Amino acid sequence: MKYKYTILPFRFDHFNKEEYLLTNDVGEYIFLSNKDFEKFINYELDMKSDLFYDLASKQIATSDKIEDVVAMLATKFRTKKSILRDFTSLHMVVPTLRCNSSCIYCQVKRHESSDHSADMTKKTAKNIVKCIFEGPSPYIKIEFQGGDPSTDFEMVKYIIEEAEWQNLFKKRELGFVICTNLTLLTPEMVKYLKKHKCDISTSLDGPKDLHDTNRPLQDKNLDHHEIFEKNVKMVRDIWGDDDCVSALMTTSKYSLGRYKEIIDEYIRLGFNNIFLRSLNPYGFAKEYKEKVSYPIEEFVENFKEGLDYIIEMNKKGKFFVEGFAALLLKRILTPFATGFVDLQSPAGVGIAGAIYDYDGSVYVADEGRMLARFKNYYFKLGNVNENTFQEMFNGNQLHEIIENSCNECLPGCADCVFQPYCGADPVRNYSVQGDVVGHRPTNEMCIKTKAIIHYLMEKLHEGDPETINIFWSWIK
Amino acid sequence: MKELKIPIFELSNNSFKLVVDTNIYSKEALNATCYKYTDKYFIYQKSADNPNEIDVIFETKSEVVVNEDTVKSFCNDLIDQQVRFDVNNRFGHIRDLIVEEAFKPVNK
Ligand code: SF4
Repeated sequence: MKYKYTILPFRFDHFNKEEYLLTNDVGEYIFLSNKDFEKFINYELDMKSDLFYDLASKQIATSDKIEDVVAMLATKFRTKKSILRDFTSLHMVVPTLRCNSSCIYCQVKRHESSDHSADMTKKTAKNIVKCIFEGPSPYIKIEFQGGDPSTDFEMVKYIIEEAEWQNLFKKRELGFVICTNLTLLTPEMVKYLKKHKCDISTSLDGPKDLHDTNRPLQDKNLDHHEIFEKNVKMVRDIWGDDDCVSALMTTSKYSLGRYKEIIDEYIRLGFNNIFLRSLNPYGFAKEYKEKVSYPIEEFVENFKEGLDYIIEMNKKGKFFVEGFAALLLKRILTPFATGFVDLQSPAGVGIAGAIYDYDGSVYVADEGRMLARFKNYYFKLGNVNENTFQEMFNGNQLHEIIENSCNECLPGCADCVFQPYCGADPVRNYSVQGDVVGHRPTNEMCIKTKAIIHYLMEKLHEGDPETINIFWSWIK
Repeated sequence: MKELKIPIFELSNNSFKLVVDTNIYSKEALNATCYKYTDKYFIYQKSADNPNEIDVIFETKSEVVVNEDTVKSFCNDLIDQQVRFDVNNRFGHIRDLIVEEAFKPVNK
């Protein structure tokens, strides 16, 4: 039978009682009434109607030569997947497991500040830097994690200088980030970090009582939030730039119902964005689940409330961004590639980011390192003191993990309408559901992502011009 | 066994049976629909006496009890899944062409 137009690959689902949402592989979307959807798939749409032109402009249907549309879709698809071109560029390095905090959701087997048994040696550090530069990516970001890396600042300096030395020959675009609770940073350290262009990433969970509940210092006589506030100011004064320090928040059970206060605290301390982050289920968070955890549905409700609050604030003239929404909106509204190790397809583990532990062990992701604490080494690629880059990053293990983390062909995801905006997290699947593929109907990450994308789609569909302008301002 | 509305039957102990006509619905569509329901219910598929039919049995798994509406919404989801399958059968090869075209530069 000859059809009057060609339907191109798309996914769909009921968006509400009256409408369907359609998306395609390159992230274009359109809402169709139930009646129009029926007509569309039965080839009964008027090809001169606005609706057909809309579908054609989004490459969901065509009356043109199919080869031309395929070429256009291929270009867009290639752009969307261009994050794969460069291979691993984010290298997280753990110079020590020492830390002076005892966060209630901590996933790391942290060591007391005086316990040097989990400090990196210079030999291991040198081999890590060598391994990093063996990778093909033209971009290298070395991110110091811990413990708190500031407890072994000498090792941080050693790695920075070793990498800068290597880079004199390798000429990559090299950058550094240090993740620290800020409390141990001195003006000298900050001046060093500034000189070596090492950005500072910290953690802020909200107003004083909440921050101190979630992230108490081991020394009970010290006031974490007060030192934090003082040191944020010190860092900014030295740097001369308020954006030199970014902050991450984690939602514990105690944070629920308090998103407005948390957002207000971010603003009070001069931050212009927040990433409303749910707790991840590894390490202590899993062991002490009932103590700090909560049903994912509660997080979603809080997220929506927080997002609405942020949108209202933007409407009143305060520019402030919610990071997760901004990431998803970029995927929904633009043709550009967005790498985000925790939510991309194929998954970013190993091929976009990797973590090097203090003893030289290499894991595909930080959470893989957490699993190793429980003697599960599934996500360990090897050790820089024993294995070559090729063995670790081009071995069967990583191939197998990546093959099972393309959401284009995962059960449940393959025909999910939100697939183009979503991703896979094999480490989380393995940790929570027992295998890298996971079970979508009961998967918390899926439940959360689906609900949040749906909420953003509702906002886009409502079409309030002010809200849409705010969204665009977030993704510029 | 109580027949509610063709082709739904209420079995004993909070369980239901749906008879699926394989002339209308493919195995792929049926499997994908069953998968969606495995979070809340125990689902079994078995060949029926009629070779053109498959029996799908629903049993209560946890606090969410199977009822007639569960099976009815399964029927609706099955239609969606079959539409996905049919549409994909018609245009799925175009997706392969796009991916092949997209990766041409790196496959040279
Ligand atoms: S994880 Fe869930 S929301 Fe994401 S693509 Fe898969 S089914 Fe869809």
